[in-house]
Amino acid sequence: MLRKGVRLNDGWRQGRDRESPPAGSALLVAALLAAVPAQAAGDKALGEYLSSECTSCHQLSGRSTGGIPPIIGWPQQQFVAVLEAYGRKERENQVMQTIAARLSRDDMAALAAYFGALTPKP
Amino acid sequence: MTLTRRDLAAGSGALLAASTLTAPAVLGQAKPRVVVIGGGPGGATAAKYIARDAGGAIAVTLVEEDETYQTCFHSNLYIGGFKPYDALVHRYDTLVSAYGIILARTRATQVDREKKEVVLSDGRRLPYDRLVLSPGIDLKYDSVPGWSQAAEEIMPHGWKPGRQTQLIREKLDAVPDGGTIVMIAPPNPYRCPPGPYERASMFAHVLMQTNRKQAKIVILDPKESFSKQGVFQPDWEKRYGAMIEWLGPKVHDGIKSVDPKTGTVVTGFETYENCAFVNVIPAQMAGQIARDAGLAPAGGYCAIDPATMKSTADPSIFVLGDACNAGDMPKSAFSANNQAKVAAMIVRSELANGPSFPARYLNTCWSLVDTDDAIKVGGRYEPRDGRIAAIDTFISQPGESDEVRKQTQAENTAWYAAITADMFT
Repeated sequence: MLRKGVRLNDGWRQGRDRESPPAGSALLVAALLAAVPAQAAGDKALGEYLSSECTSCHQLSGRSTGGIPPIIGWPQQQFVAVLEAYGRKERENQVMQTIAARLSRDDMAALAAYFGALTPKP
Repeated sequence: MTLTRRDLAAGSGALLAASTLTAPAVLGQAKPRVVVIGGGPGGATAAKYIARDAGGAIAVTLVEEDETYQTCFHSNLYIGGFKPYDALVHRYDTLVSAYGIILARTRATQVDREKKEVVLSDGRRLPYDRLVLSPGIDLKYDSVPGWSQAAEEIMPHGWKPGRQTQLIREKLDAVPDGGTIVMIAPPNPYRCPPGPYERASMFAHVLMQTNRKQAKIVILDPKESFSKQGVFQPDWEKRYGAMIEWLGPKVHDGIKSVDPKTGTVVTGFETYENCAFVNVIPAQMAGQIARDAGLAPAGGYCAIDPATMKSTADPSIFVLGDACNAGDMPKSAFSANNQAKVAAMIVRSELANGPSFPARYLNTCWSLVDTDDAIKVGGRYEPRDGRIAAIDTFISQPGESDEVRKQTQAENTAWYAAITADMFT
């Protein structure tokens, strides 16, 4: 499990390549993935509806001006793990903590399925 | 000739014959019709999401008089010199070319609820199966004694985009060092709750940058408190010393009158004479077309069903954004954009057999205080007890590190790019 106080979003703040998932060290990724059991793909229709809440800030095209990271094309398990970390307030960002706290596991899986299937555009 | 569902239902002899002989073809033309009034964060978003996700199964017409949309949100950043005016201007071209939305470049003057038609200024009538109303606010020109629409050039409000926004910047540029700016803040509920205070911050920023450090900004507020007050005020002191003075009603004892000819503002406590610039932000109400349609009480906002964003007075009409009473949700571009997606989902489920999910709402309002120093407030909302209720809220804290404030401004910048892409592309 994640240790409390680990600041996973530092990579985002440093303007990481927008087409790469904003993970920390390889060890951290392994820890994140281990925390998420393998599961069936999420409900894309639900994900599409829920995604409309995300697209007020995260561009569907994958473009980013740096202050808010792109969220498309991620591995689904990692997507869910990151949302869960926000839900537990282990990642810093008040907006994302507030959003993630209200998402069920199914919601997160649905979002992961929907955004994960999108391809970044230039 | 374009057939409408109403025509088919009315069943004139000719239409009846046509529908009998060639029913599939005729029915094929009679797509459900959605008319959207207002091309802002509520209307543009609703039009796009309905058209995009219905995949051609719903005919969407967006009625918008203006050729471009000029955002009220981030207009304070233009006033503060952080954005050129052009960066606030957006076009509807992609909504038409990519999603097949019909753009009616005219003014909607009336909603005929009985016939389910929108009347346009050129006399045409647009029939609808569902109407999305997102007309924004109207200003109450009689809410500040002595001020009127005739005075809005001399004492601008800057609370609608366009020339008024530019006037605010021009008046600010003309303030001499040592001059006094008086801002009259609006009573609740109004568009963009932190907006007046972000604007005062931008005034101070510009005055400091241009070495007019003896100028003064007095905010006369009819409210006892204001959005993000606990963060704005310590930041003002830190950034601008005593330049910004906020006075609540217990101190100023009421805003008695203004005189645009002499630049005078009279309160129960003090008279401000020869003001360099008076910014009157008046009380507000739902846009006229919504009020005239009987969807809002006199001088108020439209009641909506929190589960659907439908008017409580008419289940065929959705009211979005600043014109509706969205309970705990503030009147913001973020809110309107978010509400539009709930409405779009309901429209698709009712007219095109789309899936339906429980309504959820979200809002965040960022405000810039100074260079690389932004604060935010926001929350999650859900239908509860007949209204949209806050479930969880957050707000920036006083004394946050420079790094956090800089990151918050980076979010603000990224949000603007994202929401305008979400609305218009």
